[in-house]
Amino acid sequence: MSAIDNERNEPPIDTSRRRILKVSALALATAGAYGVAPFFGPWKHNHAWSQAGQKKPLVLGLTMDASGQYAASGMDERLGAMLAIKEINAKGGVLGRPIEAIHMDSETTPATGSRVAERLITRNEAAFLIGALHSGVANAISQVAQKYGCIFLNTNSSSPTEAGKDCHRVKFVWDGNGTNFALAIVKNAMAVNGKNWVLLTNDYVWGHQTSKATRTIVEANGGKIVEELMVPQNTRDFSSYLLKIQQIKPNVVAAAIGGDDIKALRQQVVQVKLNKSPAWINNQQDWPDVYGLGPDAIFGVFGTNWYYRLDLPGVKEFVAAYQTTYPGVQIRVPGNTYYNGYMATRELLRAVERAGTTNNIKVIKELEALKVSARDRMQDFDAYMNPATHQLQQTIYMATYNDAPAEKDDIFRILAKLPPKDVEDPEAPTTCKLESYDATPSYEM
Amino acid sequence: MDFLLNLLPYVVNGISLGLLFALIALGFMLIVGVMETINLAHGSLFALGMYVALFVITPQFGWFPELQQAYLALPLGARYVIALALAPVFVGTFGMLLELAMRRTYGKDPLYGLLLTFGAALVIEELIRLIWGSTEKQLPLPDAISGAVRLGDLVYSNYRFYASAFAALMIALLWLFLEKTPYGAIIKAGAHDSEMVRALGIDLTRLRLFVFALGVALAAIAGVIMAPIWGIRPQVGVDAVVPAFLIIVLGGVGSLWGAVLAGLMVGLVVGLTGAFASAWSLLSMYLLFIAVVTFRARGLFGRKSVLDA
Repeated sequence: MSAIDNERNEPPIDTSRRRILKVSALALATAGAYGVAPFFGPWKHNHAWSQAGQKKPLVLGLTMDASGQYAASGMDERLGAMLAIKEINAKGGVLGRPIEAIHMDSETTPATGSRVAERLITRNEAAFLIGALHSGVANAISQVAQKYGCIFLNTNSSSPTEAGKDCHRVKFVWDGNGTNFALAIVKNAMAVNGKNWVLLTNDYVWGHQTSKATRTIVEANGGKIVEELMVPQNTRDFSSYLLKIQQIKPNVVAAAIGGDDIKALRQQVVQVKLNKSPAWINNQQDWPDVYGLGPDAIFGVFGTNWYYRLDLPGVKEFVAAYQTTYPGVQIRVPGNTYYNGYMATRELLRAVERAGTTNNIKVIKELEALKVSARDRMQDFDAYMNPATHQLQQTIYMATYNDAPAEKDDIFRILAKLPPKDVEDPEAPTTCKLESYDATPSYEM
Repeated sequence: MDFLLNLLPYVVNGISLGLLFALIALGFMLIVGVMETINLAHGSLFALGMYVALFVITPQFGWFPELQQAYLALPLGARYVIALALAPVFVGTFGMLLELAMRRTYGKDPLYGLLLTFGAALVIEELIRLIWGSTEKQLPLPDAISGAVRLGDLVYSNYRFYASAFAALMIALLWLFLEKTPYGAIIKAGAHDSEMVRALGIDLTRLRLFVFALGVALAAIAGVIMAPIWGIRPQVGVDAVVPAFLIIVLGGVGSLWGAVLAGLMVGLVVGLTGAFASAWSLLSMYLLFIAVVTFRARGLFGRKSVLDA
């Protein structure tokens, strides 16, 4: 890594003869114990490419959950990122350099997110970091990334704070956020279902901020939040919540529940037959959290930013590429989390190519000016990066269960499609204070 | 009066939840009590029970389509009963293999047993992922135990009543087995003084194998019962092992009634806080644990250690 401005505070490398002898002895012992191959592990990454006359690979650090509440979605977005990398490598890589990906499990835990980010940047020399589901994890990763100036793509974490008070110069948010989805759904749900609402809120930053956005819209339109029930993460039993909802008798329950929690909630709502009444809205429904649950459990109205049966150019080919590349996966068609993982990675690598360098500041400027046509993004409206918040402004879809599916996986019916301007988060630009370019460490890999 | 009437559904719900927690902890309690081994694979074996039941109810015999068709022609209720019987047998047999591996750790630092069962938990979870994948699954239920019932203003899930009754039945059966059969007497004696049991000519190795298999089979039964409530996913075992551990310590290690009482207390506390202080619903069980253990370090029904004398 040739640092333009080395801010990484790496400890000085001990190159004394004694240490080199020690390390060599250890390496030889390892080679003896496990065969020769492990000895070539680090060499392959750091030196073999130069001996073979190839350009040094560009390393992407994938900070995606493989365990915890968002494990399923983490795996899904990883597949998306990997396909984008595969496609770009097939075309010769970026700036003539092959792309390598290193994945580390962020465990749906902010502390792990920080540790993984630190390790990927300082030890694995990751040029960029990609991936996040849990907003607490995304925030933790982005703080580390900002410290080093390492560009971080928040692929799927949707707390409005991500492009608001927790925004950073190095962070780009790829998904719609809780406010975008609330703007798309809430007013309509009030008109159709009534004004007394209960909020069911996952007790962490995404849940809080999403319910706050819902509350603001409900109250601004003459509605009333009768009760807000906090749901701790990893709640598996919702029986007392469901009893409470029955006692309150609201018109609408607005759930901001994600990951494994929403799977358990949906199944238990069906068991007590509350899926028909009251009306339910789930701010955003990630595809891996609903896939395989069965028709009864996919009740209510929810938001998404993509669906695999959108009648748009390129969608069929995109689905076919997924199925060809990942024939064994249980989720047979791609969903929103996969889509965001793919799109974020592809746009980052395109930005590097356009910048003609891996210099982070130049790439940041490319991403800040990003505009993607609807056709290129397989959405209904053109998308653009808001340079003041670093959130991609894009089409938001309102969906519900499809009771006349064209095929087994066709479980969503798109009710409405909203252009980015109609659902833009009004608060984000006022709360987001991006660090200046000068205050952001610069590097080139 | 109105307050009490409002409270009643939550108390009933808490008791029902408590019985389910107790069911989850039974197998864990048995193994810790008799073998003095903390089986960290309890949760993964609980998950394995769910998946075996899923396979038995909706089998995928790729090579034998006729056989599959004939089997699926059986009523769902019959397949469910078969699953409830076969899942503990299969997982219990698997548990026996695990116990064989654990024998080298007996009499050594307890950390060896902990590490081994922790490793086994990871292996089982990954095996589940390899075989069944990582997406959410649902256990089909026969009509007789699904649906909902209206009591007054409120709708309850039929399955909850069935699951709670089943948990109560399992607790009663285990109590009868431990208290009223000679095998139970040997197990209890083994827990109390294993050397004396060996001196009386009882094969301690076989006893341990049997107890471990029984404990693991109970984990599998709990998995089958909890599957429609929690859902089926590879990592679901973590959701079981933490409350199970807490309940057996709270109740007193090795005490059946301690585990039952602790399960009920945890169920009530979680259920009531879920309704009236929802943000505290998960934390409440840990606060209860701290409160009890602060004043009674060996748990509610824990026996006095020789060190306390």
